[in-house]
Amino acid sequence: MHHIVLERWSRGRSALHRRDARAKIVALLVFLVALATAERAIPQLAAALFLLLCAALVWARIPVLAAMARAGVALPFAATFAAVSWISGDAARGAILAVKSYLSALAVVTVVATTPLPALLRGLETMRVPRFLLTVAQFLYRYLFVVSEEGQHMAKAAAARGASAGRLRFRVAAGALAVLFARSYGRAQEIHGAMLARGYNGRLPTAAAPRFGASDAVFLASASLAPALVRIALDRFA
Amino acid sequence: MHIPDGFLSTPVWAALDAAAAPAVGYMARRAQHAFDESKIPLLGVMGAFVFAAQMINFPVGIGTTGHLVGGALLAYTLGPAAATITMTAILAIQALVFQDGGILALGANTINMAVLGVWAGYLPFHLWGAGKNRGLAVFAGGALSVLVSATLAVAELLMSGVRIAGSVLGVSFALFLAAAALEGAITVSVVGALEKIQPGFVRKPREGRSFALGAVALAALLLATVGLLFASAAPDGIQSLAQQAGVASHARTVLTTPFSGYEAAFVRAAWTRKALAGLAGIGLIYAACVVIGRTVSRRGSA
Repeated sequence: MHHIVLERWSRGRSALHRRDARAKIVALLVFLVALATAERAIPQLAAALFLLLCAALVWARIPVLAAMARAGVALPFAATFAAVSWISGDAARGAILAVKSYLSALAVVTVVATTPLPALLRGLETMRVPRFLLTVAQFLYRYLFVVSEEGQHMAKAAAARGASAGRLRFRVAAGALAVLFARSYGRAQEIHGAMLARGYNGRLPTAAAPRFGASDAVFLASASLAPALVRIALDRFA
Repeated sequence: MHIPDGFLSTPVWAALDAAAAPAVGYMARRAQHAFDESKIPLLGVMGAFVFAAQMINFPVGIGTTGHLVGGALLAYTLGPAAATITMTAILAIQALVFQDGGILALGANTINMAVLGVWAGYLPFHLWGAGKNRGLAVFAGGALSVLVSATLAVAELLMSGVRIAGSVLGVSFALFLAAAALEGAITVSVVGALEKIQPGFVRKPREGRSFALGAVALAALLLATVGLLFASAAPDGIQSLAQQAGVASHARTVLTTPFSGYEAAFVRAAWTRKALAGLAGIGLIYAACVVIGRTVSRRGSA
C-alpha cells in the first residue's frame, strides 16, 4: 500500500528527523499561515517556499521527486475547483488555489515524512489537544491497515463468487459492509480484552517524555522565521 | 468533500478552527462519560472500519459506483458524541497521512462532517428511530448528513471568494442530492443487515419524543444551512449568472424576497463584511447545535 512509503521515510535519522515534534508542528503552522494569508506576489512567494521545502527534503534525505508526487494527492480537488474558477471567468484565482493547496500538502508531507506518527500525536498531546481524541486517532492508524486488508479480502472473495453481476449487488455490498462492521467490532473487543490482560488502564504507555532541547529551539526559530520573512519581504518590496 | 488548505479565506478558516476546537473538546468529554476510557480501542477500530468501507463499492446506475461516508451509521451505532470523535480522528489521519484535506482547513472539515454532519444525521433517527417510520428516519439521517456537509463546504468556499458559476452550482447541488440519496440507501441496507447479524449493534432511541420540537430543530437546521448557502452565493455566484442570462430582475425577486434586509445591508459591502455575516450564520448554527446537544443529553439521562 502506498502510505507505507511515508512510514519508512519517517524512520530516517537525519537532523530534521531528530527535531522535537512540537517544533515541527509550530513551524508547519507558521508556514501554512504565511502561505494561506498571502494575497500579493503569489508566484514569487510560491517559488521561494517551494525551494525552502525542497531544501528541507534534501536535508532530511527524503527522495524529493517521490515526496512531490505524494503531495500531488491534493491536486484532483484543487484542479476541479481551478477548472470551475476558470469556467466562471477567474483563471488567475484558479491557478492560485491549485498552487496554494499543492504547496500546503507538500509542507504536510515534509513534516509527516520526518516525524513518526506516534511522536507527532504525542507532540500534539503536550500541546493540549484532547488525549481521548488522539488515542482514538492512534488506534485508528494502527488498525487501519488490518481492517482495510480484511475489506480487500472480502471484496476479492465476493468477486470470485461472481458478485459483480446481477441486480442483487447493492444488497450484497451492504451485507459485506455489515459483516465487516461486525468483525471490526468483535476485533475491537478482543483487542480490548488482550490489552486489559496486559494491564491497560485507559492510557497508552509512552517512552520518556520528549525533551525540547536547545537545537530544537534554534530549529523552531529559523524554520518559522524563514517563511515569515520571505512573506514580509515580498509584501513590502514586490 | 475534504477542503484542502489554500481554498478558504483567512476569516473563514480561522473562525471555523476556533469553533471546532471547543465543539470537539465538548464532544470528547461527553464521549468519555458515555464510554469509559478503556473503550477507546472500539472507537479507533470503528474509525478504521469507516476507512475500509470506502473500498466496498456500491453500484449506482451504469458503470458508476459510490461508497459509504459513514457519519450517520457511526452515530446510530456508537452514539453521536463518539461518532463525532471518531470522524474527527478520521479527518485528522486523512489530513496528516493521506494529504486528503488541509491542516488549517481541518476545523472547517471537522465542523462540516464530524460535528454538523454527524448530528444532522442523528437528529431524524433520534426523533423517529423508535417508531413505525424507522426505515425512513434511517434513510433521512444518512441523506441529511451528506447533504448538510456538502452544502456547508460549498457555502464556505463561496464565502471565501472561490468563484463558482451558477450553472456549476446547480449541477453540483443535483450531484449532492444524488450522493445524499445514495448514502441514505446504503445506510438503510447496512443497518438492516447489521440488525440481522446482531440486534444490539444499532441503538434504540426512546419512544415518545416531542414531534414538534424535533421538527422545529430539523427545519431550523435545514433553513440555516440553505440560508447560509444563499447568503454566500447570492452576491456573486447566482446573481452574475442571472445577469448574464438576462433574467436578473426575475431572479432577484425570487432570490431576495426572503433575504431582502440581508441584501440591502450586505450585497454591496466589502468581502470582509460578507464573510462576517456568513460567520455569524455559522455561529448561530453552532449555538443551535450545542443547545440541541444539551437538550438531547438531558433528555437522554433523565
